[in-house]
Amino acid sequence: MKNEYFPKIVVIENIVNEAPDVKTFTLRLKHESGGKLKYKPGQFMMLSLPGYGEAPFTFASRPASNGRFQITVKKLGSLTAALHDLREKDAVGIRGPYGNSFPLDKIENKDLLFVAGGIGMAPLRSLIQQVFKNRKNYGNVEIVYGSRSPRELVYKDEIISWQDNPDTDIHLTVDTPDETWGGACGVVCALFPKVKLDPKTSVVILCGPPVMIKSAIKDILKLGFRDSNIYASLERHMKCGAGKCGHCYIKGKYVCLDGPNFSYLEMKKLEINS
Amino acid sequence: MVLDYVFIAELFARTVSHALIIVKLLQMKKLFITKESLEELVKNLKKDCDEFIAPKKEHLDDIVFSDTKHSGGELSAYEGNSVVSPRAFLLPQTEEVFKIISAKGAKFKAIEEKTRRIFYGVRPCDMKAITLMRDFFADKFVDAFYEQKMERSIFIAIACASRCSKKSFCYEMDSGPVAKDGFDIELTPVKMGYLVDIGSKKGSKILKKNNKLFTKASSGAIKEAKAILERFGEAAKRIDYKKLARIMAQDKVKQSIWDDMGLRCVACSGCITLCPTCSCFSFMDRLENDRGARLRYCDGCIYAGFTRMAGGSAPIPNHKDHIRRFFEHKLNIDTLRYGRPSCVGCARCIEICPGNIDIRKFIEAVTKGAE
Repeated sequence: MKNEYFPKIVVIENIVNEAPDVKTFTLRLKHESGGKLKYKPGQFMMLSLPGYGEAPFTFASRPASNGRFQITVKKLGSLTAALHDLREKDAVGIRGPYGNSFPLDKIENKDLLFVAGGIGMAPLRSLIQQVFKNRKNYGNVEIVYGSRSPRELVYKDEIISWQDNPDTDIHLTVDTPDETWGGACGVVCALFPKVKLDPKTSVVILCGPPVMIKSAIKDILKLGFRDSNIYASLERHMKCGAGKCGHCYIKGKYVCLDGPNFSYLEMKKLEINS
Repeated sequence: MVLDYVFIAELFARTVSHALIIVKLLQMKKLFITKESLEELVKNLKKDCDEFIAPKKEHLDDIVFSDTKHSGGELSAYEGNSVVSPRAFLLPQTEEVFKIISAKGAKFKAIEEKTRRIFYGVRPCDMKAITLMRDFFADKFVDAFYEQKMERSIFIAIACASRCSKKSFCYEMDSGPVAKDGFDIELTPVKMGYLVDIGSKKGSKILKKNNKLFTKASSGAIKEAKAILERFGEAAKRIDYKKLARIMAQDKVKQSIWDDMGLRCVACSGCITLCPTCSCFSFMDRLENDRGARLRYCDGCIYAGFTRMAGGSAPIPNHKDHIRRFFEHKLNIDTLRYGRPSCVGCARCIEICPGNIDIRKFIEAVTKGAE
């Protein structure tokens, strides 16, 4: 009988400092753990660090043919702090993939609005990379991304390169600018008036801290976007990823099984706003 | 007038379902075992298992389930129910899910549950709870640890001749005084011994191996068993748990009821520790130098940190919503999900609660208030 709680072993191939206290790890399954990992953008893994336990992380890169995948991790607790101390060639465990993906069928040929706050860009990046890889399959793309300060924007160079894609607009903002910053200041919602997409047909995908998701959805609805076209990648305390441990349970749904991506329509039924 | 018809229809339905249970009882209970032969059976069963989990008096005269294969002292017959349900052996307070051979090198070793257990003397309410948990743990992803334990276990239930406590409401929740399924053998106590029900292939195997110990049941013994059910039925009315779930799903429970429960709950975790259907858990690693194991331990929604994340945000921060979540899960959500509630009426949570929160009174208040 398969033990769902037994991790596969992955090797850290590369570590990049994204921002203060934020690192991106490139991982690859060890051969004895079965070669490649099949996942879809929006899904997550349970990462095991022996001695520290497990924590959920969303795949931050699109599924690649070379079997490598990335996670972007902010140092917040004991496990993430220990993860930040690891080096290339160190091994960790993972389980998964778990959860649903972003609504991949629903977004084809649609105009897309991505809204991210801080480290919330990580889950969206897997989908954005996928969208730009198959650019013709999607309509106009606009990305609204904000963080506390310019230093805390993750994937900076990559985001700038996204601007080179056709029919793509990127809006960046920070709460507190520094001398290097010439862009917008303020919360992400303040940039919504710049969005030119048709609210009736576009799909919105959000990820960020709960306060951001809450206020961004409110403002997006005011602009006329439909609640069935708004999706958020939610974050909850999770221990198992398999709908058993009970931590992420909301009214009979498990964020790990039925989510982590929910439409705002579903969120309203669950009486949650972030 | 309409109400009268509804009442008569309900009464009729109740009488019919009651009669059906008795008919089933009459058809099935054909075997009998004396008290002396049962002692013999227990001796034989102990030889065929690694652990014999049976009720035993421990501490200050408490009845608890314990492995008595070698230590003995099991009660072949007993009044009341155990303080803790046998859940403690299927979802233990802590259990290893794999070994950590090297923490630094991320080397793990799988472990498999191979213990063959016989659970003896399980009460019908707990038997039902065990099967409800099996449904849950096999839903979508199979929990290998629960399922393997179930596959390697034999369950011998003992029906209840009388109510275990004034507060229990097993009959009302359709989970007592006899077990309907889940058991391999069920014993119903009568004056001279026990009526014997076989519930599975595992049960028939035991019967075949020990056939000298069993005899055909007399009609007198069958009548006695029938009287037990009638006694329970006379004094109680089944709870319409689907109606209850409907009221809760429509959010028609008065806010004052939830507020009152929030005030009374002191988050002692007695209810989640004793509830035979509570299944929430967490993991932790226990290391000595570089070696150790990942452990699963029982956790629960009453604890303040249950939903709190590393960054500090908690989606359900308020204490009164924790106890509400417990009630909603047991009575509302699981009824919608599985067609029955995850409360078997054992009353352990009522007995233990220092704030006098009473799930039975809650059910009464909610169903009455909505009429």
